[in-house]
Amino acid sequence: MTEVFNQNVKAESAPEEPKRNPIAKGLDTFAGWFGFGSKSSKTRRKVFYDVITYIILAFFAFIMIYPFWWMIAASFARNRASMLTTVWWPSALATENRGGSFFYHYSNIMRIMSNNGFNYWRVVLNTVIYSIVPVVIGLITSTMAAFAFAKLNFKGKNIVFFYCLAAIMVPGPSIMIAQFCVYSELNWTQNGLSMIIPGMFGAIMTAFFIRQFLYGLPTSIIEAAKIDGAGYWRIFWGFIMPLAMPAVMAQGILSFIGCWNNYLGPLLFVRNNDWYPLALVVSQMNTEAGEDTNNAPSVMALAVLALLPVLVLFAIFQKTIIGSIMLTGSKE
Amino acid sequence: MEEQSVAQEQAGVQVAEEILFQPKKKRINRAVLMENLWGWFFVCFLVIGTTAFIYFAFVLSVWMSFTSYSSSSGTSLWEALGNIHSDGWYHWYQYMFSPEYSADGTLLTGTGINQRFWTTLLNSVIYMIGIPIGMAISLFLAVLMSRDIKGAGVFRVIYYIPTVSSVVSIAVLWNNLFGDSGIIVELFGTRFIGGSTWMQKITVVIMTTWKGLGGSVLLLCAGMNGVNASYHEAAEIDGANAWQIFWRITMPQLWPTIFYCIVTSVIGGMQIFAEPQLLYGNYPSQGANSASVDVTPFVGLIYGYYGLGNYALSSALGIVLAIIIFVLTLIQFALDKRRDS
Repeated sequence: MTEVFNQNVKAESAPEEPKRNPIAKGLDTFAGWFGFGSKSSKTRRKVFYDVITYIILAFFAFIMIYPFWWMIAASFARNRASMLTTVWWPSALATENRGGSFFYHYSNIMRIMSNNGFNYWRVVLNTVIYSIVPVVIGLITSTMAAFAFAKLNFKGKNIVFFYCLAAIMVPGPSIMIAQFCVYSELNWTQNGLSMIIPGMFGAIMTAFFIRQFLYGLPTSIIEAAKIDGAGYWRIFWGFIMPLAMPAVMAQGILSFIGCWNNYLGPLLFVRNNDWYPLALVVSQMNTEAGEDTNNAPSVMALAVLALLPVLVLFAIFQKTIIGSIMLTGSKE
Repeated sequence: MEEQSVAQEQAGVQVAEEILFQPKKKRINRAVLMENLWGWFFVCFLVIGTTAFIYFAFVLSVWMSFTSYSSSSGTSLWEALGNIHSDGWYHWYQYMFSPEYSADGTLLTGTGINQRFWTTLLNSVIYMIGIPIGMAISLFLAVLMSRDIKGAGVFRVIYYIPTVSSVVSIAVLWNNLFGDSGIIVELFGTRFIGGSTWMQKITVVIMTTWKGLGGSVLLLCAGMNGVNASYHEAAEIDGANAWQIFWRITMPQLWPTIFYCIVTSVIGGMQIFAEPQLLYGNYPSQGANSASVDVTPFVGLIYGYYGLGNYALSSALGIVLAIIIFVLTLIQFALDKRRDS
């Protein structure tokens, strides 16, 4: 886009003939301010392009950010009508006819939830359990596998490696029905174990990412530890785990976010209201109370509550997360 | 005589060597054994998990699709596996491709299983029109961010926010932004979620594109860093303009990243489920929250039959999905190989 503009401006404002009419002269002066035309200036042109770049980037950043702002603003609206007409800030706030509280909808949604048989804190606890227990244990098992793949020589290593690699090709939706049937035979769908146990065996992609990281570490560390008489478990727990921490942390945060946001998993595998995670409850509340004129902003408040922990985590660890994603990209 | 003594000597040396080096050899063996044992111990959890939750589930899925197992069959899963469907193991595969007729002999358009199959599969493909659009936008943004400007990192973080946020929360938000009398609808003057089937689909496409943009921007930025700057400078000295540099220098070097992005998006796009389900509901319907077949993706159909309790049919549909994705992966490999050679 900028390039096209550049060419146009050049064509208009760089007449070669010595006798110049005032319009062309004016245009040339005008173009000169931006570094084009006869008084071409490289620094001015760079500033000009930079400004255009910033405008475009900021425009897209606005598109990315605005819905979140709208979400937060809408959760303070008085009712559905004033929520839907919100542009920057709702025309009527929840404070206006409901006896004061600015955070009215945040307490209201907890009331609606308990009317539907959910306890907000229990739901949050479920979500936290689902996204911490399998992630932490899964990270340890994944790092163990990564260590073996990267630094140990054992018979059948390549076969095992490709055995695990090939499993990536199996799409989740085509095995979810069989998984559900097995979990419900084991009664895991009634007590939340279906969301905890499978993750504890580690994730293939996590293991491969950490393996790539461990490849970069010098093998001499392990040799030295071996000579000093450390066993393999000592080497793993005392050397590899701390050294791989940056990669492990990055993968851990990404897995945590993935588990927190997981929707299809609990939709199938959790069949007991007591064990519902936030994602399911938000969706259920949306269908039950989302159309109600007084409760619609409350559902939005719950959506904000479900989103906030992840956004805070992302804000804290954005450098790690972005770095890890970009690393995956450059490896390909 | 002499030869014999030489042979004897050699034999003696061999014996001596064997005796001398045996302990050392044994120690090496033990170290190798330990390394093998520990290696297997370290990978065993991942291998068990992969076997139990992926391969076993896949085999079970295939097997289940041969049976008539459903939530109303009243037997346990293991008993049901013993009974292959009475019309033959291929029953469900034949069923999903055979047109269905109502009692008076007219073809069921839209509601027959075969029509459902093709409609939902087509929907999944239609939902992918966001992929090229998203790629173009993220390529544009990545090129802009590759200029040495301050604050590119901040923009990268901002673009990635929708990707990490919960799809359910975003769906609630979309419901209100794009729903009737929502602010976007008022702004554009057309109905989105409440509008025609095409507008409903476009709403989903907007959502997936918006949500997925950050990931491809990041990957393309990473790819852009890998683009060799010296080619760029050489072209500049030779008098190439920015447009030429982009198409002749940047694009060829960036192509592997773009290809990777497209492949992963297509494979992921075939598995789209949450967005349309959250916005429009289930199909075939389960209770009040029911959608039209025209907006349901293929995985939505699998989930729909699961909701109706027909586990065998939904497993069969799942296997078909796995085959489709496998073929897509093969095409990807073939294209990748042709590009390399």
